[in-house]
Amino acid sequence: MSHDAMMHAEDFRAGAALGVDHRKVGMWLFIASEVMFFGGLLATYLHYKYILGFPEASGLNIVQVGINTTILLTSSLTVVLALSSIRAGKGGQLSIFLLLTIALGLAFLSGQVLEFSHLYGEGVTLTSSVFGSSFFTLTGFHGLHVVAGVIWAAIVLVRGLRGAFTAERNMGVEVFGLYWHFVDIVWIMLFTLIYLIP
Amino acid sequence: MRERTLFLSAIIAIVLIGLGFLVAGQANLMPREASTRAVEVDQLFRVLLGVSTVIFFLVEGALIYAVLRFRKKAGDESDAPAIHGNTSLEILWTLIPAAIVVVIGVYSFQVLGSIETPGRGPRVVEVIARQFSWGFRYPEEDLATTELHLPVGQPVVFQITSEDVIHSFWVPAFRGKRDATPGQVSEMAITPTETGVFPIRCAELCGAGHSIMTSQVVVESPEAFDAWLAQQQALASDPGQFFLTLGCGGCHTLAGAGTTASVGPPLDGLAARAGDRVPGLDAAGYVEQSIVDSDGFIVPGFQPGLMPKNFGERLTPEQTQALVAFLMAQP
Amino acid sequence: MTATSASPGWRRYFTWNTDHKVIGVQYIVTAFVFFMLAGILAMLVRTELRAPGKDIIDGATYNQVMTNHGSLMIFLWILPVLAGFGNYLIPLMIGARDMAFPRLNALSYWLIPPAGLLMLASFFAGGAEAGWTAYVPLSIGGPPGQTLWALSVILLGFSNIMGAINFLTTTITMRAPGLSMWRLPLFVWGMLATAILSLTATPVLTAGLVLVAFDRMIGTQFFAVASGGDPILWQNLFWFYSHPAVYIMILPAMGIVSEVLPVFSRKPIFGYRMIALSSMAIAVLGMTVWAHHMFTSGMDPRLRIPFMVSSMIIAVPTGVKIFSWLATIWDGKLRFTTPMLFALGFISMFLIGGLTGIFLAAIPVDLHVHDTYFVVAHLHFVLFGGSVSAVYAGLYYWFPKITGRMYDERTGRLHFAANFIGSNLTYLPMFAAGLMGMPRRVADYDPEFTVYNELATFGSLLLAVSVLPFLYNVILSWARGPKASANPWSGKTLEWQASSPPPPENFEQIPTVTSDPYAYGEEAPKAAEPAAAPATG
Repeated sequence: MSHDAMMHAEDFRAGAALGVDHRKVGMWLFIASEVMFFGGLLATYLHYKYILGFPEASGLNIVQVGINTTILLTSSLTVVLALSSIRAGKGGQLSIFLLLTIALGLAFLSGQVLEFSHLYGEGVTLTSSVFGSSFFTLTGFHGLHVVAGVIWAAIVLVRGLRGAFTAERNMGVEVFGLYWHFVDIVWIMLFTLIYLIP
Repeated sequence: MRERTLFLSAIIAIVLIGLGFLVAGQANLMPREASTRAVEVDQLFRVLLGVSTVIFFLVEGALIYAVLRFRKKAGDESDAPAIHGNTSLEILWTLIPAAIVVVIGVYSFQVLGSIETPGRGPRVVEVIARQFSWGFRYPEEDLATTELHLPVGQPVVFQITSEDVIHSFWVPAFRGKRDATPGQVSEMAITPTETGVFPIRCAELCGAGHSIMTSQVVVESPEAFDAWLAQQQALASDPGQFFLTLGCGGCHTLAGAGTTASVGPPLDGLAARAGDRVPGLDAAGYVEQSIVDSDGFIVPGFQPGLMPKNFGERLTPEQTQALVAFLMAQP
Repeated sequence: MTATSASPGWRRYFTWNTDHKVIGVQYIVTAFVFFMLAGILAMLVRTELRAPGKDIIDGATYNQVMTNHGSLMIFLWILPVLAGFGNYLIPLMIGARDMAFPRLNALSYWLIPPAGLLMLASFFAGGAEAGWTAYVPLSIGGPPGQTLWALSVILLGFSNIMGAINFLTTTITMRAPGLSMWRLPLFVWGMLATAILSLTATPVLTAGLVLVAFDRMIGTQFFAVASGGDPILWQNLFWFYSHPAVYIMILPAMGIVSEVLPVFSRKPIFGYRMIALSSMAIAVLGMTVWAHHMFTSGMDPRLRIPFMVSSMIIAVPTGVKIFSWLATIWDGKLRFTTPMLFALGFISMFLIGGLTGIFLAAIPVDLHVHDTYFVVAHLHFVLFGGSVSAVYAGLYYWFPKITGRMYDERTGRLHFAANFIGSNLTYLPMFAAGLMGMPRRVADYDPEFTVYNELATFGSLLLAVSVLPFLYNVILSWARGPKASANPWSGKTLEWQASSPPPPENFEQIPTVTSDPYAYGEEAPKAAEPAAAPATG
């Protein structure tokens, strides 16, 4: 018998006693490591912003990206609603809110592509300057995390349509939700530090 | 029993501390102290050595004693006493090391403040590191040299930078080390106190020539230093001045320029002996090729890939000819 | 098709297997292979350095040999072998059937062979030659192998982070009934502290390596000095991970020592809670000391002070462990088995390494000895005299549990003697060389340092030879040694309740824990009872 099939709920009784599911613990720990990864990239950006000033940042489009940020924030709302739907046993609503999340995620990514092309048009590229390298690497990795999140959302959607989740068994949705909210919070930090703070 | 233990502990403590002082006073593992900071650093080092010796012998002694004394007796399969801890002892061996560490920290902080503060009216000397030699510049005299000379007793502030990768400027006899980072200037304050010739070594991995990136600092009387400066200034107005400003002397011996490095082949008497190095090239032609195509011919016994390859771009053709003429004119 | 630990023989070690015991052995054996390779590189180094001048390899080749020696030792030997111990022992020690995420666990292991091959390949593709520290701009401009090196380390970082997630989740959520945190074996405490460091520090190195890889592969400007790039930024990102990394390399080793000493003294560990807390203290403090590797970098002089302070303070929890270990064996009934000898050797050599760390923390002294052979001596005392000794102690101690057979004690003692003498002979002279003025990472040196280098080379020959009795012992004993009982050492941690080797599910019944794992000398019930006893947990 393979070892993951050998595991049952009682193997996790210490976690139950603490009131935590092991899959949630795993996701929180993963998020902690991701925070440190983005921390390293953000420290790089801020360090260079401090010593070089980043005059190229005048090309950043605060209004457009601000709207994009709102879109991403809304997608966190749809994720919350998705989870509360399945917790109330409403599988159909779960699917709708997951679809909305995917749509909003894709809209955010399109907005980022727009911003990136705009900057490229002005000659600010990944390799053109320290600003370009720092900006695109930081926001690029965030974008990659959104892509991963959209794919994951689609997988959760498909599993939901196949009846994998019930009002009592929905850890798969909750864990996905944690990841999505994390990606959203990272964006809030990036938007604030890159776009809002002069 | 308790008095005996206390008495024994006191004797052991006295012996250990005595040993610590002995080691601290006698141990001589450092090069000759040639700067003001060397004296203070060595003193701190000796204190650390004394304290460490005491701790080492205490711990190691206890370990060896335990190994000898508490060996299991033959046939005894029973357990040892169920001692789980001793709060007072544990507090003691947390607080005493903490106190020692605090004292060492404060002492180190004081020494640091003292050694890193420049002396009065320091002379600024620029240190320029490159793969794989050291260049120096005396801004007051607007003079670039390949040797470092300093007048004894005068405070110096080194301004250290690099032209390519990170190197590190280290004079063991001075006890000072500072990285040479491209794009930045790092400062280090030294006051030399002894005349003599002391090695300079590169202390940050910088490529294939890292281990041979050595030089020397000559600390001499103020009169001798002034004479040397004058000699260097005379050389600087020679058409062959590039020998100095490009750092050739950092790797090559040339009696006429007073350089003694042996990273690369010696350059004395090239006119007489370099004519048959490369078929088809006379001595002057060989010298020119060696400058602009540094790996074109490797003198036996020396390593390829160490001489900069870009002299051909850094020098105009006229400057190259001036340098070749300078070298050909050397006896 | 998933092989299970019930599959016959050696084949399961070469396939995807989710049994933590199989994965643990995979980690340990793979790591040992890299240890041997890195050791051969070390012998190349010591052969070249026996005498001044160029002997067998030139400066550029030497830099590649030295870089790969360090990188293999750190990333492909010590880190994975300790992870292997953690993998094998944690579920057994906490009374669990496996790790929380068995498939993630298998993936963690299977990242290592390709990453290792990538690093070895880099050797042949124009090898990485900037040291394991890969300072920029040297590593940006270096040969193609440097990119492979960076990618290899990134992959290994993923493996470490996944392992940390598994170790932490398992320890938090899968402890057997009655196994409160204050009854955890100290090895598990050590792994807990280690996993926290792995989880939080490794991603910062990953970020830095991404920047270096991007600069090299696609022309970003992160470390391009002409564009405003700052080489010191790399140092900060690198050391923010690499200092905690050295605690990742020592905390599990200290945990092994804490397991071995009580068993072979038949005495409880002295100061259990302080030892457990000291591991956590070292982890937390360890995140605050990184710039002590940068005292000569030209960093703001005032900022150096807090790093000196934290670096000195970390000596206190370290000292607590050493004194507690001494107090453990004091008044004990000592048996000098091979694991016990290596544990005692650990204390002696780690003591030297730790004391010299205080010298390095004192900035005025560091400004003289930074990047010299003093540091080389210090790091080898803590990593070789320390971590490797503890690994050997662990390998001998758990050999019967893992293989079901007993090793030969006399050959083990021979191994210890050669290793102990060889280590001290190799690394002690290096302190003197560094103080006298010999820089680090040099292929050649001034003749005044010859005698120290000759001694070190001679010692390294003894070290190289010392591995032979170990290999002989392990291979022969694993194949044909006498069968071992479940608990040949009278250990009280839970792994000794399972058979040797344990069945795939570890325990027929998950035990209920009623006392701490070092309860020697008391008239107490055994550390774990099967479900027949009333559950008190």
